[in-house]
Amino acid sequence: MDVARLRESFARVTVHGDELPLFFYSDLFLRHPEVRGMFPISMAAQRGHLVDALAKIVSQVDSVDDLTTFLEGLGRDHRKFGVVAEHYDAVGTSLLATLEHFSGPAWTPELAADWKAAYKLIGSVMSVAASADEQLRPPWWRGRVVAHEPRSFDVSVLFVQPEPRMDYLPGQSVAIETPSRPRLWRYYSIANAPRQDGLLEFHVRLIDGGAVSMVLTSSTVAGTELRLGPPVGVLGLRQPVSGRGLVLVAGSTGLAPLKAIVDHVATLPQPPKVHLFFGARTADGLYDLDSLEKMAGQYGWLTITPAVSADPRFAGEKGSLPDVVARRGDWSGHDAYVAGPTEMVRDATARLASAGVAHDQIHIEDFGWSER
Amino acid sequence: MTTAWFDDKGRMTPAEVQTVTFPTSRLGRRGYEEGPVQEFLSTVHAEFVRLVNERTSLWQEVQRLRRRIIAGESDGDSQPVLFGEADAHVHAVRILSTAQVTADQCVADAQDYSGRLTAEAKRRRDEIMHEAQQYSDQLLEEAHTKAREAAVSALNVPAAPQSDETQRAAQAELAYLRTYGDVYRAHLRAYTEGILRGIEEWERKEAASLQEAAHRLPPAGPPFGPRALNGDAHLHH
Repeated sequence: MDVARLRESFARVTVHGDELPLFFYSDLFLRHPEVRGMFPISMAAQRGHLVDALAKIVSQVDSVDDLTTFLEGLGRDHRKFGVVAEHYDAVGTSLLATLEHFSGPAWTPELAADWKAAYKLIGSVMSVAASADEQLRPPWWRGRVVAHEPRSFDVSVLFVQPEPRMDYLPGQSVAIETPSRPRLWRYYSIANAPRQDGLLEFHVRLIDGGAVSMVLTSSTVAGTELRLGPPVGVLGLRQPVSGRGLVLVAGSTGLAPLKAIVDHVATLPQPPKVHLFFGARTADGLYDLDSLEKMAGQYGWLTITPAVSADPRFAGEKGSLPDVVARRGDWSGHDAYVAGPTEMVRDATARLASAGVAHDQIHIEDFGWSER
Repeated sequence: MTTAWFDDKGRMTPAEVQTVTFPTSRLGRRGYEEGPVQEFLSTVHAEFVRLVNERTSLWQEVQRLRRRIIAGESDGDSQPVLFGEADAHVHAVRILSTAQVTADQCVADAQDYSGRLTAEAKRRRDEIMHEAQQYSDQLLEEAHTKAREAAVSALNVPAAPQSDETQRAAQAELAYLRTYGDVYRAHLRAYTEGILRGIEEWERKEAASLQEAAHRLPPAGPPFGPRALNGDAHLHH
């Protein structure tokens, strides 16, 4: 396999922009109409994912370890879409046809052989990882909504019973699919550590125009059956526990993974001191404060500081969450965990770093390969 | 295959248009505003990609016609292959792609509309909450002022011979509370009635617009028509 030739070929076909993935999916659906149902109505986001994944593969094709980790994750992740071994051949055929179509006279037998070999490798790493995963867990879980608690104008807390029981690490997330938005999966953090009864807690904020969040916050009621993908993400408490104090910074529904971490700390024989900051724009955005205060009443090691940024009447801490965190203590020598809106996470990370928290002790929400 | 396809050596690509950066002009020097420049570049990029794709289709059409001529010349047959299976496949791919892009656009428009609607609802809600808060402050302040006046005048009533200081203070307190309560209750009633009127208005308008929407719906289609019905269910909620 000539890596340079492969990259040159890929660069040449990408000048066709969106036409490339558009051709690929149309070709695939014409040859195999039965796979159309595995995709959402709108394919716009899907086309972007395909090109991004191909670009990543082509750029890493000579650093085998990174690429293998990425492809194994991708293979396992695709089980929830219903992908099985046969689909890999179908995709390979359409991919080759697409590349040929857009390569024109540059498509030579040697180039065709390169792509064929590259795809064979990709397909086999993905499908081997997927079939190994089959031994361990289902492709997706049924999740029955047990309770839907609207907590504020735009935030709901959902309690979901997975079937069968789901094993996960506190701080991880799962993709959720709702019955009325088939094939649209969105990631949500589980807000509790694994419980005896296996119940999962999710915090959902209504995003303007958000297809899935709108369904979850409005028309999802007790009894609704969701589908849950396998748990992903690495925002869990670092093991072994360092014994250092923890500072947790949660903006809005970024609270979910951090609440799971508090839950996890409670199971430790010697819990470290934990200071949880929970910020929102207005007081009614502090949608889970009651539950947190109950936890603080129960656990001596836990301190909760709510903060509000845009409501001068609020009795507690006022200002942006990173500001409040910075003025409320000296966090050097702590482990920090930050989750919430991207901008807040960035600002808080910078403030903590400049306040002397070592970089490798600041942990942020990271979906890794599954980010989309 | 002698035609140059897309000879990349030294040719500009759409990606370059998308990723180009320019140094910013120093303070006080004249320069273009960044926003319109970016906007223009993205238009140029889209047009560039479109041209590349149009060129590809034309090239493929040329190839097809060339094959047709060669086939016609070589076997002397007057009916050379007009439209081969491969051509038909590419044609079908294009038709399906166009349909897909249309579907994508419909979903994107619906999503965009719903996004604007939610954002507007949130803004209105913030406004209403803010107004209500201000109104409530004003109301409390007014009730307090009136009640204090009542208390002062109760204090100023000439004292009955048997009354002592404590009793006068209690009477003043009573007058304060009574007036405060009266004013507050009156305002609360007016406010609640206002809200109820608002809700009735809302219900009436909703019913009217639902009825209007029902009229606009096309009559039920044949069994395979309701593809649109699926799409509809997708867009609702």
